[in-house]
Amino acid sequence: MKYILMMNGKKDAWDEYAAWSKDDLRRNIEFMQRFSRELHDSGVFVDTKGLALPRDAKIVRAGSGGEPVTDGIFPESKEFLAGYWVVDVENPERAYKIAARLSGAPGPDGKPGNIPIEVRQVLNSHNDLGF
Amino acid sequence: MKYILLMSGSKAGVETYRAWSPKDIDAHMTILKGISRDLTESGEFVATQGLEAPHQAKVVRGLQNGMPITDGIFPESKEFLLGYWIVDVATPERAYEIAGRIAAAPGPGGIPTNMPIEVRQFACYPQSVK
Repeated sequence: MKYILMMNGKKDAWDEYAAWSKDDLRRNIEFMQRFSRELHDSGVFVDTKGLALPRDAKIVRAGSGGEPVTDGIFPESKEFLAGYWVVDVENPERAYKIAARLSGAPGPDGKPGNIPIEVRQVLNSHNDLGF
Repeated sequence: MKYILLMSGSKAGVETYRAWSPKDIDAHMTILKGISRDLTESGEFVATQGLEAPHQAKVVRGLQNGMPITDGIFPESKEFLLGYWIVDVATPERAYEIAGRIAAAPGPGGIPTNMPIEVRQFACYPQSVK
C-alpha cells in the first residue's frame, strides 16, 4: 500500500524557517537526509520532493477559450504543501509510525518540531474510489 | 523544470463528485487520460497520482510512549489534495497551460469543472536528493 506523507504550512512558517540559526538548519537537514536513507534501506522508499516557496505558487483555471488564467493571491489561512514523502508499506499503522518520526524532526535548539504530517493513501487507479 | 500541479477540494466537493452520473465520470476520466497520453508523447510526463478519499486522511504528530499520535478531525474548510500531476517542462507558462487543460476537463453535463489547479515548482532542498 502506498501512502503519501505531506508536510504543510502557512506562508509565515517559511519566514520562521528562514530565520533559524545555521546550526538548527543543519540539524534539521541532517535528520531529513538520514530519514530518507533509512526509508531506502528498509525498502519502503518511493519518492520525496520539496516544493519551491509559496510566493511562487500560482492557481490556474481555464478561461472561456481554454486559455490558462493564473492567479497568485491566496488567503493568509491557506496551507501550502512544503514537501512530501511517498512510502510503500504493509499497513497504515506503519505509515503513521514513519510520519511520527518525521513529525519529530528537530526544530530550533534541537527540540522536536512536532509538525503535523498528513497521511493519505495513494490510489492504484481511479476505480479504487469505489464510485 | 519540474512542476507539480495540485488538485485540491473540500470534503463537500468530493461528495458532489460522488453524485456525478457514470457518463459524466467517464467523460471526465477520458479527458484526463488523454492529457496524460499527450504529456507522455511530448516527453513532459513524470507522474500522476490520485489520493484516497479525505475520510481516510489522518494527521500524525510525534510519538507518545513509542506510538504515533493520530487524529482524523479536520476543519470543514480544509482543502484536501485529491490528486497531482508532475511535469517536466521548458517554462512555467507551459506548466500553466497544462494546468489550464486539466481545469477545463468536463464536469456534469459536459460543462468544464474549472477546478483551480495549484502550480508549484520543485525546490532543490538538500533533503530532496535521493
